[in-house]
Amino acid sequence: MRQLFSSSIRSRYVTYQMVIVSFTVFLSIIILLPVAWMLNASVRPIKEILSYPPKFNFDSLTTKYFVSIIKNETYQQYFYNSTILAISTLFLTVGLGLLAAYGFSRFKMRGGRFLLLGIMALLMLPTVTLIIPYFLLAKTIGIYDSVFGLVIVNTAFILPICIWLLKGYVDSIPIDLEEAAMIDGCTRVQAIWKILVPLVLPGLVGTGTFVFIFSWNEYLLAVTLTDSPESQTLTVGLAAFFGQFIRNWNSIMALSTLTSIPLMIIFFLFQRWVVRGMTSGAVK
Amino acid sequence: MTEKNKKDRKKVSQIDASVVTQRHTDAERFNLKQKLLRRLSHRSVIGYYFVGPAILFFLFVSIFPLTRTIVTSLTDKDDGVLKFVGIQHYLELLQDEWFWNSLFNIGIFTGSSLILHISIGLGLALLINETWFSNTMRNFFRGLLILPWIFSTATAGLMWSLLYHPFGIINYIAVGILGFSAPLEFLQTPSTAMASVVVVNTWKSYPFYMIIILGGLQVIPQELYEAAKVDGANAWHRFIHITLPQLRSLLIATSIIDIITTAGHVDLIRILTRGGPFRSTETVAYYIYNKAILDGNMGYGAAISTLMLIILSILIIIYLKIISRGGGTGETTF
Repeated sequence: MRQLFSSSIRSRYVTYQMVIVSFTVFLSIIILLPVAWMLNASVRPIKEILSYPPKFNFDSLTTKYFVSIIKNETYQQYFYNSTILAISTLFLTVGLGLLAAYGFSRFKMRGGRFLLLGIMALLMLPTVTLIIPYFLLAKTIGIYDSVFGLVIVNTAFILPICIWLLKGYVDSIPIDLEEAAMIDGCTRVQAIWKILVPLVLPGLVGTGTFVFIFSWNEYLLAVTLTDSPESQTLTVGLAAFFGQFIRNWNSIMALSTLTSIPLMIIFFLFQRWVVRGMTSGAVK
Repeated sequence: MTEKNKKDRKKVSQIDASVVTQRHTDAERFNLKQKLLRRLSHRSVIGYYFVGPAILFFLFVSIFPLTRTIVTSLTDKDDGVLKFVGIQHYLELLQDEWFWNSLFNIGIFTGSSLILHISIGLGLALLINETWFSNTMRNFFRGLLILPWIFSTATAGLMWSLLYHPFGIINYIAVGILGFSAPLEFLQTPSTAMASVVVVNTWKSYPFYMIIILGGLQVIPQELYEAAKVDGANAWHRFIHITLPQLRSLLIATSIIDIITTAGHVDLIRILTRGGPFRSTETVAYYIYNKAILDGNMGYGAAISTLMLIILSILIIIYLKIISRGGGTGETTF
């Protein structure tokens, strides 16, 4: 009797699991269809994609679209600019963000709460409300059409969330560890560098990935504040390419794929920490 | 205070003292005490050194330009000469039918995106939060479901343009399988353009909300569900009476973030439709971009920006009230 009972529960559990897994697989396929189609269109002549029904000839697969994009000097320049932009923004944001998160987490300051609320308000400031003064100011002070200018303005929009996420991490590390280190003769900077930074490393990696993805993908600021290929980024290049009257779908999709590959690699490497940061810190 | 309590305290302090003296000589202890005292009295000042750089950065790069937006909205450029025109732009704005059109469009855009983001995000978060027989598999699917979030708006727009193409796969399903007479021009027809943009925005942004809601689901105490099961509540009742009330403030806060982010989208609309066809997808954000950057009418664009800021700041204040609830003690932690 007991055997029967447990086996019926067991089979119910297995059925339940099957339903959950197959439903998720089904949804994942639908959701990832646009990505699969982009990859498909970057290695197959567009005539076979845009036809009823789409064809899947194995023979017509080709890498020539990728090769032509990679060899193009303008796209190399875009790629270089995007990399410089994303990495500089990453270091500036995480540096300023960690200092501020430490300050907010460890010290009771007069007006600290007010400042923190102000930062939360800035977190939600839409980019579009600032493009007019940025456009005018950038021309006045001479950082229009430069990657440096983009780094500065990108940081302004990503730093608030960065402070917020990092503050959550610093809060979770007991202050006793630093105090013990300081009693044993470390300076505060040493205590931060040797005790705190290794402990919040997952948070730094997660936040850093967040910043990298944000600045790599940023479009509005880049298209408003740049004018020439010397300082334009991949997103601007993509959109400009797309705007042409005759659409070269194969090259567009090859460029999209090449733009996305670094993000996919970084995301799958650091997924755990990004997700942890977002689930624990963003809204509580 | 009782006698026993006092004794205990004395004991503890003696133990503490003995621990300290084991490691430091008297002179060292004195120095240390001085140092700690000094540190305590300077505490509040040191904090500003750490927070200072970020605050200064915000002052110069966010707050100052923000005031410039408002100032610019009161000026106009006439033959290259900047002059003060007061609230003239705002009066024009009230007469501008395209502004009201863009306000209507942004309402449709943010409203439908909000409903789709939160419901899809909540649904998928519930699915991922279920007990899976393999955690690795669950994390793998969680990764796949987040994937759309990492693509740039430009890339997402391009991917979907290919799908929406008259000879693309969606039209193949519509014409070749479902038997429509002609391919649908999703982005070129005023009645479907907005819906098509909303679909792309949903695809691109739901993962963010899914992850945040997942975080909220994980902190709901399991005992609540167990107690409800004992009382005979089915899955639907547990969802309505436990999950939703527990997620309430998180969902409100997330919705506000979503409204503000969606309202600010320019890139998606620029890449997919450029506000068209017949201005049916021109939102307030795109109208600002269109007027100020493409037409060069900075003053007018700044006036729309300022109005948008005023509307959004009401939402921001509500949001700040929610996240700082239960505080009010003057501490910097929420």
